[in-house]
Amino acid sequence: MQQILVIAKQTFKEAVRNKILFILIILGVITICSSAFMPVVGDGREKIKIVESMCFRSITFFGTLAAILLSASSIPTDIDNKVLCTITAKPVQRTNIIFGKIIGFVYIIGVLLLIMGSVSYLLIRYTALKQSTQDSSVLLARKAFGPVNLQITGDSARRIGNVTWTEGGGKGASVWKFKGLSSKDKNDNLAIEADFLIEGKKRSTGKIPVKIKIINPYSARVLTESMEISRNKPLLLRLNGKSLDGSAELTVVVSPENSGDFLGVRADDLRIFWGEKSFGCNYLKGLTIISTQFLLMVVIAVLGSTFLSLPVNILFCLFVFFCGSITDFMRDLSTVINVFETREHEHVVSEVMQKSNVLLVCLNNIIKKPILLLSYILPDFRYYSVGKYFVDGINIPCKRIFMGFGYAVLYALVCLPVSFLVFKRKEIA
Amino acid sequence: MSDDVAIKTENLTKAYRSFWGRKNVLALNKLNIVIRKGEIFGLLGPNGSGKTTTLKLLLGLIFPTEGSAHVLGKTTDDVTVKNRLGFLPEESCFYRFLNADETLDFYGQLFSIPGKERKLRTNRLLNRVGLEFARKRPLKQYSKGMLRRIGIAQALINDPDLIILDEPTSGLDPIGTRETKDLILELKSQGKTVLLCSHLLSDVQDICDRVAIIDKGELQILGTIGELLASKDIVELLVRNLSKGALMEVERFIQEKQGDVISIKNSSGTLEDLFLKIYAANISNSKADV
Repeated sequence: MQQILVIAKQTFKEAVRNKILFILIILGVITICSSAFMPVVGDGREKIKIVESMCFRSITFFGTLAAILLSASSIPTDIDNKVLCTITAKPVQRTNIIFGKIIGFVYIIGVLLLIMGSVSYLLIRYTALKQSTQDSSVLLARKAFGPVNLQITGDSARRIGNVTWTEGGGKGASVWKFKGLSSKDKNDNLAIEADFLIEGKKRSTGKIPVKIKIINPYSARVLTESMEISRNKPLLLRLNGKSLDGSAELTVVVSPENSGDFLGVRADDLRIFWGEKSFGCNYLKGLTIISTQFLLMVVIAVLGSTFLSLPVNILFCLFVFFCGSITDFMRDLSTVINVFETREHEHVVSEVMQKSNVLLVCLNNIIKKPILLLSYILPDFRYYSVGKYFVDGINIPCKRIFMGFGYAVLYALVCLPVSFLVFKRKEIA
Repeated sequence: MSDDVAIKTENLTKAYRSFWGRKNVLALNKLNIVIRKGEIFGLLGPNGSGKTTTLKLLLGLIFPTEGSAHVLGKTTDDVTVKNRLGFLPEESCFYRFLNADETLDFYGQLFSIPGKERKLRTNRLLNRVGLEFARKRPLKQYSKGMLRRIGIAQALINDPDLIILDEPTSGLDPIGTRETKDLILELKSQGKTVLLCSHLLSDVQDICDRVAIIDKGELQILGTIGELLASKDIVELLVRNLSKGALMEVERFIQEKQGDVISIKNSSGTLEDLFLKIYAANISNSKADV
């Protein structure tokens, strides 16, 4: 253990004296501070949201870059400089070198997060202080509750992709059930937010009237609201927390009022917001998730550094990070190729056209399958995207932190043994 | 393996392979050597002959293609044996931003030497290699010779039983070279085994008990300096204060006994001796001036 800590300390010292870390921290701080001067169209709330968004994006970008550049370069540089030659000639297990390096990078990430996180926090607080009290309330993190399940009633429902369409006029309804609702202040505003797809009889208006029933199963109290839902505009319904009558359960039923109007819903389209948490607590949670992402990147970079040269390893890490951030897009892309292929097969094609399917087969084997495979093998960095929580003013659930951490641990459990195996057989020439 | 054997290699072979897995360079071919404890063993050979490859194989930095090596009774992949090893690499490569104190402390910590003991050893070694004056200077400001000295110091931080030195005098001035040679002889007097690898033949000749010459990865010759250099049909006679007449009589006597006199000349000494003599004189003059 002592050897691991010695190597970790040395790795940290080396990075501190390395100009790259300082340059990245300075650039990060400059970018964070510059967000305060960004021109904003809108009220004070928008200003705070933009600063928050910029701060988190800067921390993520510069932190990831630092994690990649430092951890991808450490072992190859030590091999090139022959420093590793003298270290491995001492009674040090090679696994200890890898552990030591990783712990050293954890120290570095800690320092980086401490500096950039503190600057960001102060800037966000300062920006909020300059706005009105009402605007600065956007910093509060609303507790979000997702539905336990979604039921579709009526016979007219049709499912297209992952969207279920129900027709109005009493022919169908969407029923969301919520459980485990809780808030310290029972009088808090309770808000129902939804983002539905609509298809109306009168296409030109882009609106359909819907009936919303809020049922408290505990007291059997029913609250009915009629609203108009617009296309591209989320539905927002504010209630008083008292309406729950102490119940932790709630059922929300939404149905279009008129026959011929359709409502397209998905399970996670409707959420309840009830109660608020402090910004500081939410901010710390956000930083914790981001730090887990850095840790994951360090593990991948160290794995690469055991068998790749410095420039190739940096490219490899950037590739992993880039593709890991767009896994959804990669899967969509492979689906597009699939759809294209299916449509070609669906139609009656001439012999000449059938020959051209060789291209589709190639496309399938050379592009689609590898893209799909990559999207599953590469780490999914969407687990670590926290910016939208702050922009939407939503409390980050602890589950999200554990999921991100668990995902990183799972990845580390695969990457570390491979790193040890490769590095154990690596020739330090 | 016998108790008095420090290093033993058996058919030790190393081939470097190309990207496609083909054998590209045969760096070492079936090397069989035995180095006894307490001796200074020199590994000689031209550049690229396989000397450094041999050392790296012994240290477990690279892995043999065939054959095996035992160091202090253990295989080279046994990390615990390195507790008793000291190694000076060919190029003195350390963390350049550390100073001499920090460098020795870092390597000392890798051996889990307690703090107080580390400090004592650091002081003693810096004094021994003559780097006390520059102990707080970052290594990036060191000259090549100074880096060599700190390299020797780090190789001795764990008070090893076996010291492996790759080109220990490379980059050193004649005084540094002499001091290093004296240090190696001192280590031998303490019962330690030294394996040194060099292409500076005079250095090896001065201090080594036995030498092995390898070329193109193959062992060419192995033996003591005396055995290897002895010419049985040539006798060297060193005499001081002999008059010219007496010299002619000796020459005539040899000819009478059917011997061939190859050359008669005054002993010239070595350039190293001359340099050290001048250096010593300068030092004593400057002391007298003070």
